Amino acid sequence: METVIFWILSAFAVAVALAVVFFKRAVNGVMSLLALMLALAGLYVLMGAPLVAFFQVIVYVGAVLVLFAFVIMLLNLKESVQPLISLVDVKAVAPAVLFAVGIVVLTWLALRDAAFSKAAALQQPVIGLRQIALDLFTKHLLVFELASVVLLVAAVAAIVISRKEGERP
Amino acid sequence: MTLYHFVGLGMALFAIGAAGFFIRNNAVVLLLCIEIMLNAVNLIFASFARFLYGTEGQIFIFIIMMIAAAEAAVGLGIIIALYRSHKTLDMSLIKDLKG
Repeated sequence: METVIFWILSAFAVAVALAVVFFKRAVNGVMSLLALMLALAGLYVLMGAPLVAFFQVIVYVGAVLVLFAFVIMLLNLKESVQPLISLVDVKAVAPAVLFAVGIVVLTWLALRDAAFSKAAALQQPVIGLRQIALDLFTKHLLVFELASVVLLVAAVAAIVISRKEGERP
Repeated sequence: MTLYHFVGLGMALFAIGAAGFFIRNNAVVLLLCIEIMLNAVNLIFASFARFLYGTEGQIFIFIIMMIAAAEAAVGLGIIIALYRSHKTLDMSLIKDLKG
């Protein structure tokens, strides 16, 4: 049963990822990416990480993708609706395919004979929420605080970059 | 399901995002391709955290999500500034840095 759900969700995820790449209009791409995020949230639940699925839906779907949609509406692009599928940059197809295949082959070679094969099929108990929270706020507290500083700096930087020339924020 | 199923899916998504970054010209779609790649890496982190039984993988994912949100905010700010100065988002038409 779990295997069937995995294959359905992963086929859906690959299909909508291809849709993001090939849809001509950016709005369609954002909506396809939303479907991809939800499929990945389902996969996180399937692998026993409900907290990650929760954050995936709240942070990515609720904040990042809404920001994307907001900016696309703000820019008010004069895009033609037809054709639905974008023409790709023909000169870049060969390096793109080479790069993608290279990544997959190299990672697979690195993983194939590593020590992970023992752990690969092991059915271990799922890590509890309590353990993650304890580790996040004791062992990794400094990283957590630094990430919040990065978020603050990025918010200020986004305002400074996107304002008009000479305009007071 | 084994570790390799999840890692294989993550690698496929990363490859799609990387290839899309090469072949598209629209600046917003380039940012969307970066988001696909970040999500693929998150999936691989989560699967290793599950199958090697550690909390670090999931904590890494939270940090990556925070950095991705910061990256999206700055990237979209750059896109707004770019659209204001060049009146286009087609990256093949924006070649001020071409020497």
